[in-house]
Amino acid sequence: MNARALRWTLAARARLALALLSWLVLIVCAGEAQAQRTITVWHPYRGAEQRAFDQVLRAFERDRPGVSVQTLAVPFDAYAAKLEAAIPRGNGPDLFVDAHERIPSYLARRIIVSAESAIAAVPRTSDGLDLEPIALEAVQANGERYGVPLSLKCLALFVDEELWERAGRPSLDSLASIAAARTSLPTGAYPLVYYASNAYFHSAILHGLGGQLFDPQRGAYAFEGPAALESLALVQRLLADRVIPPEVDGASVTPYFRSGRAMTVISGPWLVGELGDARRYRVAVLPRVREGGRAMSPFVTVEVAFLASNAHAPGLAAELATFLASPEAARLRASVGRQVVATRSVWSEAELANDPVLAAFRRAANAGRVMPTHNNMRLSWEPANQAIRRALRDPQATRVAVEQGRRRYDDASRPLPAKRSALPLQLTLGALALALAFRSVQRARDPEFRAAVKRSVPAYAYVTHAVVIVALLVVLPLVLGATTSLYAGRDGALEYVGGANYWDIITARGGSLFASGTFYTVLLVTVLWTIANLTLHVSIGVVLAIILSRPLLKLRAIYRVLLIIPWAVPSYVTALAWKGMFHRQTGAMNAILAALGVEPISWFAQFSTAFTANVVTNTWLGFPFMMVVTIGALAAIPKDLYEAAEVDGATPWQQFRHITLPLLRPTLLPAVSMGAVWTFNQFNVIFLVSGGEPDGATEILVTEAYRWAFTRQAQYGYAAAYAVLIFGVLVLGTRLLERLTLGKQGGGK
Amino acid sequence: MATLSLRSIRKVLGANAILKGIDLDVQSGAFVVLVGPSGCGKSTLLRTIAGLETPDEGSIKLDDKDVTRAEPRERDIAMVFQSYALYPHLTVRDNLAFGLRLRGESESKIKARVDEVSQMLGLGALLDRLPKDMSGGQRQRVAMGRAIARRPKLFLFDEPLSNLDAALRNQVRIEIKKLHASLGATMIYVTHDQVEAMTLADQLVVLNSGKVEQKGPPLEVYARPASKFVAGFLGSPSMNFTDAVVSDDSTSAVATGLRAPIDRQRFGALERGRKVIVGIRPHDVTVRKGESSAHGYRDGAAPTEIIVSVEVVEAMGFEAYAHGPVGGAPFVARVEATADALPRRGDKLALSVEPAHVHLFDPESGRSLEGAS
Ligand SMILES: Nc1ncnc2c1ncn2[C@@H]1O[C@H](COP(=O)(O)OP(=O)(O)OP(=O)(O)O)[C@@H](O)[C@H]1O
Ligand SMILES: [Mg+2]
Repeated sequence: MNARALRWTLAARARLALALLSWLVLIVCAGEAQAQRTITVWHPYRGAEQRAFDQVLRAFERDRPGVSVQTLAVPFDAYAAKLEAAIPRGNGPDLFVDAHERIPSYLARRIIVSAESAIAAVPRTSDGLDLEPIALEAVQANGERYGVPLSLKCLALFVDEELWERAGRPSLDSLASIAAARTSLPTGAYPLVYYASNAYFHSAILHGLGGQLFDPQRGAYAFEGPAALESLALVQRLLADRVIPPEVDGASVTPYFRSGRAMTVISGPWLVGELGDARRYRVAVLPRVREGGRAMSPFVTVEVAFLASNAHAPGLAAELATFLASPEAARLRASVGRQVVATRSVWSEAELANDPVLAAFRRAANAGRVMPTHNNMRLSWEPANQAIRRALRDPQATRVAVEQGRRRYDDASRPLPAKRSALPLQLTLGALALALAFRSVQRARDPEFRAAVKRSVPAYAYVTHAVVIVALLVVLPLVLGATTSLYAGRDGALEYVGGANYWDIITARGGSLFASGTFYTVLLVTVLWTIANLTLHVSIGVVLAIILSRPLLKLRAIYRVLLIIPWAVPSYVTALAWKGMFHRQTGAMNAILAALGVEPISWFAQFSTAFTANVVTNTWLGFPFMMVVTIGALAAIPKDLYEAAEVDGATPWQQFRHITLPLLRPTLLPAVSMGAVWTFNQFNVIFLVSGGEPDGATEILVTEAYRWAFTRQAQYGYAAAYAVLIFGVLVLGTRLLERLTLGKQGGGK
Repeated sequence: MATLSLRSIRKVLGANAILKGIDLDVQSGAFVVLVGPSGCGKSTLLRTIAGLETPDEGSIKLDDKDVTRAEPRERDIAMVFQSYALYPHLTVRDNLAFGLRLRGESESKIKARVDEVSQMLGLGALLDRLPKDMSGGQRQRVAMGRAIARRPKLFLFDEPLSNLDAALRNQVRIEIKKLHASLGATMIYVTHDQVEAMTLADQLVVLNSGKVEQKGPPLEVYARPASKFVAGFLGSPSMNFTDAVVSDDSTSAVATGLRAPIDRQRFGALERGRKVIVGIRPHDVTVRKGESSAHGYRDGAAPTEIIVSVEVVEAMGFEAYAHGPVGGAPFVARVEATADALPRRGDKLALSVEPAHVHLFDPESGRSLEGAS
């Protein structure tokens, strides 16, 4: 991606140079000519949206001779990071398109500027600006408007016409009337399917009941109180009545709808593209939460044209922003790009007004609620998601789940440790450096030492490259990581806090040491995880190795290859495959259980089964290594030892116990300690299989560190402190293991 | 102590018949040595007795109990391997105690046995060492100790000395002999070193390609080899063989440069002109004083029997070997090694031999002609 950006920048520069050159030529030759002006635009669009956007830009160029617009479609995942890196260095865009939620973060990094000038140029209608009020509200920050709103995105109700007709065309006005269709639907079909355990989807119901996830005024987590409980009770009832299917996630909604097993689904505009012509459907606004009650109200995200700071052509960028919101551009974006444009006047035109899908989404958006842009909003998702999942799994625990969500939020959003002067540290380091320098000078004076150094110069030459590589690849990152752990801050704004991160971790931030999610609890789970895995890896590996080493076994080579395959497949592929197998509805595990007449299990609903699923997956990944090591070690045991033992009177079991096992030990020990380190840090399996479910109970130290770094407002310092602690635990652990086993070796090596 | 009897043991490994019908009886307290060239099946036979291989045919009886198909642990036999096969992870003490522990003996009894054995073999100072920290000779003794500690019915040794240097080998050989005497145990000992074979055995069994070629007390086998193979295999340097024919008067076997007297009592009347192989050990010839000269051999001119034109002389110090052709075959003669009497290259040596030391073999079968007619 970076290479692409670079190539593009280079190309842009080359073109710029060319433009400059031609400009000079024009000045010299023609005496007077209009300046060739270039403007750079970044956007995350693909497909139809990208086509529409390009057409709009061509239209812009057409009206303005001499202006050329360079576009760069940046993949969504790296978008913000690239902007934040490029704009301050002056090689970013003049204008870029992104969601309104990022305004505070972009403001904090000073990469956007006020768009009041561009908005002022937007045409007015009789009742104000030609832009949706809700969209204008979204771009508001500190009394100014940052960016020109382009389009709105939110959830709406997709209705399968065929099922709806079969159900006797029930009213779609309220959840209750939709639920009533259950009895008239064919078996296997549900009145409503949506990602119920996700806070983004749940918020629509919550808003309909007067609650909210996050209070933007107070800047506080708000998923609690009567509205929250009522919203959860409502969904619990829907589940219990089989109005909605259990355990639906984001990916399984589309299959439900495509296969005609959902009369309605709640989804976003992206579903339109995924459906194609698979079903005859229409889009409607979300229903009321109860008869005569308020309508469900989805979060609305506004897509905004931002004016970048550090722009090369700020005036032109503002002009383009205004043009993007103009009816001419909006018409293209709506008809070609299928966007719910924020330009009001085009909606009175027949073409758009009669477009059932777009019009429905527009109505849904206008009934929606702008996604708050407060910095802590993003911290609310994880606690709320966990609270909802737990409450839906276990209705008895609804209250506890909600309280736990609150605590999780408080924990993640707790005030940062007080900033501290780095002086003591700097002084200590300085003193150390001085002492070191002093000592080296002293030593350098010693002629013997000098002679010794001179003698070893060739030896140093041989190891230099290795030292440099190790220093760059191992030591430097380690030191940087350790240094980061002394800093704290959110979203990458770090300040020196000394050992406060460690103190917080070790004292469990003042709470009970073994509460869920504390360092100690997670460490305990990690140790349990490591021991369980190693036990299984070693025992399965050794048993298989012994079977495979029997000279009489036919097709030995084939079995060996087959058994090594799990090891050869990338672990994330395996992890995803196993996660699929543990799926409640579609997984192979439950299919097998069903064939045996056992009730299907919600694998990730309890700690024991979720942990088991992780262990099973990792055992699948881990036993081949132990097996291969053991096969090698077995081949190295002289055959005559077994014969001697046999003659000495050993039974096969005694031979295994007294010859094989002790002689495998020296080979297995390093393998076990290596395996221990790998398992201890086995991120892929935990993250991809259970994902920490339920409620973060199966999280291990590395995945927990990851969450602090990447889902809790980028608290890199805190995550780094976790990493240093993990490092420490591993060093101690392997030392201990070594001690223990060397001790047992009877002094011999 | 035990008796062992093997009846027509046959064993095929892979596609090769390794043992081709072996019969053997071992008396209680006997020291039986199996010799034979490399690959003749000595180890296979021993492993069959130990139970590590099961014979395809035949039976094995230990103390009149049929153990042909019994597991090794049911036989109460101890075996000392050529590689020693000491348990590398166990100290000497634990190596010695291993078999006893498996049998569930009490720790006090084990300790007594280990002490006894270590005293017997001088292992006291080594008891806490691991095998890798010992010399070859020490390991060898531990391997023996491990066998002895169990007090088995029968000891099997598979070339236990072959990894030791010559000096150590001589020393340990004597120790084994003493041990046999003091334990009074029944032992079967495999070697292809004929010195070991001759010195240790009560009973010598010569194997050749899976068959017993000859068995008996070692001196008897040495003195009266039943075949050219046995005759050639025992003794060093090995016996000289020359193709010859029986003379007209049937009193001697004749070839160019050779006239060997035939002992009628042993060989009977051999028909004249019959082709034979004459076997004479290098040690059994004597130089005829004053006749080692340039004049050659004439037919009928007794008593000069063997004329060797010396090509090479090997002086060993206490004796010397003169090499030269006789009757178209190489011939070695042992001569005195006094410096002035040492023959030189080009000399013609006249040798004589007692009729009792002349062996005759059938050229076709290689069997001894003794008592043939
Ligand atoms: N597992 C086997 N499969 C096939 N042939 C084998 C096997 N083991 C041994 N042999 C063959 O059997 C023959 C006898 O082997 P054995 O080890 O008994 O010889 P040996 O008399 O002990 O020889 P050495 O003096 O060299 O130890 C050899 O030719 C050997 O190649
Ligand atoms: Mg052998």
